[in-house]
Amino acid sequence: MTIQDISEDATDHLLAQISNGDRDALEALFRAEAGRMVAIARRIVRRSDLAEEVVQEAFVLIWQRASQFDSGRGRARAWMTRIVRNRALNLIRDGSRMDFHDGATLEAIGDREQDASHAYAALPERHALKVCLDQLETGKRRSILLCYVTGMSHGEVAEKLGAPLGTIKAWIRRGMASLRECLG
Amino acid sequence: MNSEALRAQRIADYIVGAMEEHDVAQFEAELATDRHLADDVRELERKFSALDDTAKAEAVPDRLWQSISERVQTTEQPKAANSNTPPRTKAGWTTTLRPAAMAASLVIAVGLGFAGGMLTQPDEEPPVVIAVLSGDDMRPGAIVEAFANDSVRIVPLEALSAPQGQVLEVWTLPDEETGPVSLGTFAEARELVLTGPSLPAPQPDQLYEITLEPEGGSPTGRPTGPVLLLGNARVPQV
Repeated sequence: MTIQDISEDATDHLLAQISNGDRDALEALFRAEAGRMVAIARRIVRRSDLAEEVVQEAFVLIWQRASQFDSGRGRARAWMTRIVRNRALNLIRDGSRMDFHDGATLEAIGDREQDASHAYAALPERHALKVCLDQLETGKRRSILLCYVTGMSHGEVAEKLGAPLGTIKAWIRRGMASLRECLG
Repeated sequence: MNSEALRAQRIADYIVGAMEEHDVAQFEAELATDRHLADDVRELERKFSALDDTAKAEAVPDRLWQSISERVQTTEQPKAANSNTPPRTKAGWTTTLRPAAMAASLVIAVGLGFAGGMLTQPDEEPPVVIAVLSGDDMRPGAIVEAFANDSVRIVPLEALSAPQGQVLEVWTLPDEETGPVSLGTFAEARELVLTGPSLPAPQPDQLYEITLEPEGGSPTGRPTGPVLLLGNARVPQV
């Protein structure tokens, strides 16, 4: 726990202040959350400069959209995580920005599969998601983790795991159905 | 595939980030109106966020905050015309429409049924202002060109269509006293021209937005549904 580790309640409170035009609250939110957001973005966009760009866009968006956040229906941190993930996914899907379709280029900037398996391994042992992922067959689990953690497309997962695209799609579909059932 | 299985698959694709970009826009429009769907997504998203929590926070260079700070200094917080959240100021978007403006917005709320010619020939004059509207992901979603004769041309930049039984409604905020004024409704994103009620000439920074409303348009004459796209107008430098 560091002084920057503020609670979820504090994050919710900061977002409410931001919606009233409080720029100091935005800075406090940045100090508390940006490091985590950069790390999440970098798993997807790979390059530090792009991850920082994603987080910059995310914070401008948080500033603009804070008043639309409905605190009665979720936590601020989850809302921010969705924003940063969607920004990062948009960036890697935007072919004009970088040759993300060249798998070799991406691998050169770090091993995405390693990031995915590290995220899985780092889940708390008794967390429901960990327990349920453990029950999946390896192919389904790896496919889902590669998609979620690193933003790989189905096609990239197929290439990575050396399986036909149709198989990957079926694995993800059935794997997610099993997960939802298991997670209740 | 039955509808329940399809629904489950769309939720799964959205969560794992495997949904096509244009399907994401459609899905998020549904999330904004379908509380049950939104709750299901949030529930699964919350479980998956445990994976995000394993990311070790990285050191962040101070210049990143400097860049954000500079951009925020010049970025207005648009006052959303969304009735889901309580108004922050008395003089905001929720100002009651004057009866005249209300009547006018009802007249033009016919939405579809435009003659073909009207759809492409708004005015020979250049627009007075142009607004680029963007959605939650900040990507430009539509351009609104507002002309001196109370017409606006809408050029969609992404696929956007209203779910069954709903319409997309275009609004502007001429001034706080008047409150939001409907410029018309449509069902599916395509280039079209709407002629709104007689209003003062469009001003720089005037807010334009598109909300999702029940069929026939907003029942209250002011925005009730989620804001899909919004943006402030600029004056073209021609």
